[in-house]
Amino acid sequence: MDEAVVATDVRKEYGETVALDGVDLSVADGEVFGLIGPNGAGKTTLVRALTGTTAVDGEVSVHGETPTGIDADRIGLLPQSFSPPARLTASELVDYYGGLYGAARDTDEILATVGLSDDADSWYETLSGGQQRRVCVGIALVNDPDVLFLDEPTTGIDPAGRRSLWSVIEGLAEEGTTIFLTSHSMAEVERLADRVGLLQAGRLVAVGSPAELVDTHGGGSRLVIETAESEAAADALAAEGFDATAESTTVVIDGVSPVDIGDAVAALSAAEIAYESLTWTEPSLEDVYLQLTGETFAGAATPGGNVVAEQTAGDHEEPRAATPEGNK
Amino acid sequence: MSRARRIRAEAVAAWHSFLRRRTAVFFTFFFPVLLVVIFGALVRTQPTGGGLFAEPAAYYVPGYLATVVLFTPLSRVGSEIARHRDDSRFEKLATTPLGRAEWLIAHTLVNIAIIGLASLLILGLVVALTGAVIPLTPRLALLGPFVVAAVVLFCGFGAILGRLSSTQDGVIAASNTIAFPLLFLSDTFVTPDLLPAWFAPLIDLSPLTYFARGVRAITHTTSEPALPALGVVAVLAVVFFVAGAYAVPRTD
Repeated sequence: MDEAVVATDVRKEYGETVALDGVDLSVADGEVFGLIGPNGAGKTTLVRALTGTTAVDGEVSVHGETPTGIDADRIGLLPQSFSPPARLTASELVDYYGGLYGAARDTDEILATVGLSDDADSWYETLSGGQQRRVCVGIALVNDPDVLFLDEPTTGIDPAGRRSLWSVIEGLAEEGTTIFLTSHSMAEVERLADRVGLLQAGRLVAVGSPAELVDTHGGGSRLVIETAESEAAADALAAEGFDATAESTTVVIDGVSPVDIGDAVAALSAAEIAYESLTWTEPSLEDVYLQLTGETFAGAATPGGNVVAEQTAGDHEEPRAATPEGNK
Repeated sequence: MSRARRIRAEAVAAWHSFLRRRTAVFFTFFFPVLLVVIFGALVRTQPTGGGLFAEPAAYYVPGYLATVVLFTPLSRVGSEIARHRDDSRFEKLATTPLGRAEWLIAHTLVNIAIIGLASLLILGLVVALTGAVIPLTPRLALLGPFVVAAVVLFCGFGAILGRLSSTQDGVIAASNTIAFPLLFLSDTFVTPDLLPAWFAPLIDLSPLTYFARGVRAITHTTSEPALPALGVVAVLAVVFFVAGAYAVPRTD
């Protein structure tokens, strides 16, 4: 597949601050590439580098041209903190930006795509934050670009609005648009992106499909048992061959599959150890993010974990079936 | 054709944005009206007296016009650039086919329309309230080119200010700091003979001086030639427009 976006050894410094430190990247034609990373990692600077809105060292090409040399009709951009003229209506804004291109998509069609047909005549400043962001996405689509750069497109949008925009982006991807998006939402990039890049301190520290990243960097599944008798529980589980680690009020078993949960519960029951809950988690992209950015904290159950059993002290019960939903 | 479409899109958006900021519209027209009322109707000119406003009422027509020709483009274009920068609009526009010169042309056209209307209002008020006599000669048609050239000049200047100032507040402060001295020391309201002799060369350095002298040659001292002044203003307009277009931000 042809490469739509290529960056080679891209560097950018603001004074003594290194924003991009030798980024190498390629995005295939028609691919959805998600860029994640902590605040200040350089995501927005990289988007600016790829769109030619900041000068950088190194080489950047979009469909074989420099970002400033390529036909602007082929590029779409939603900057991170973009805000269009506040006292134009949604319809006027789409008309305005459409008028800047040689040819533009129909305004009504754009507004329908982003779900704002009913608010076409409302001033931008009177729309909700989510509606405003949808207008901005509509503006980015107005020239029907081959490559679309979306810098945190769903920031500030409520869950329903976010899912609505995800559908818009998925529709564009199905039509073959190359999409480069940045986000702080792991759920967003896991759902939308074919490949994900993790940027930290200006360096691209990992790139791959969400599944590849989880396999490589996410670690194994884990069972967290909440119990006041953590030391005794760890000993009982270790005796059954589990890799159990006692912490103050929990026992953590790494690398445990769902089918092993019953054996762990049986070991606790045999040792007459009371527990309050069992939480099984499988690694997610968020775990990869936390692991690679060094922002992880030991002993905490990650979001997306499944509480598979709860009981009061001394009241043993068999666990419910564990299904790893919510992680993908 | 495509360029005209882009400029039209930008100008229409800027025009609607301006008209819907009622406070901005009100003060754009109210400020010169206030000056005409204060100086022309309340203070009044005293042709036989000394000091300020010792000339006939028509002498001050260039000064009244200069309030809108100078202040409006400086503050509007400068603050528009600051607003665009704050809202990442230039980052967005940099990925569209709209060029920097096209952006400035569009905003200059909007300013020409606004200032043209304000100038007509001022002329009407000056005649009605101060009794100024403006000779209706064919040369009066040169007033349009003078206003247009001066607006182009100060739109370019405003773009430079917008580029140099980091905030909208900074633009307003800078434009006021520059515009007030220019307004009063450019052979507009204060006659050169009231200023020290050593200051005379500085008057000639102000672009507004040539606007004032040229407009006065049309509206008051009709025996003086206006075209040389119009030539100077036109050349300066081109220079400042080019510099202003270059100053319009395209990247961060």
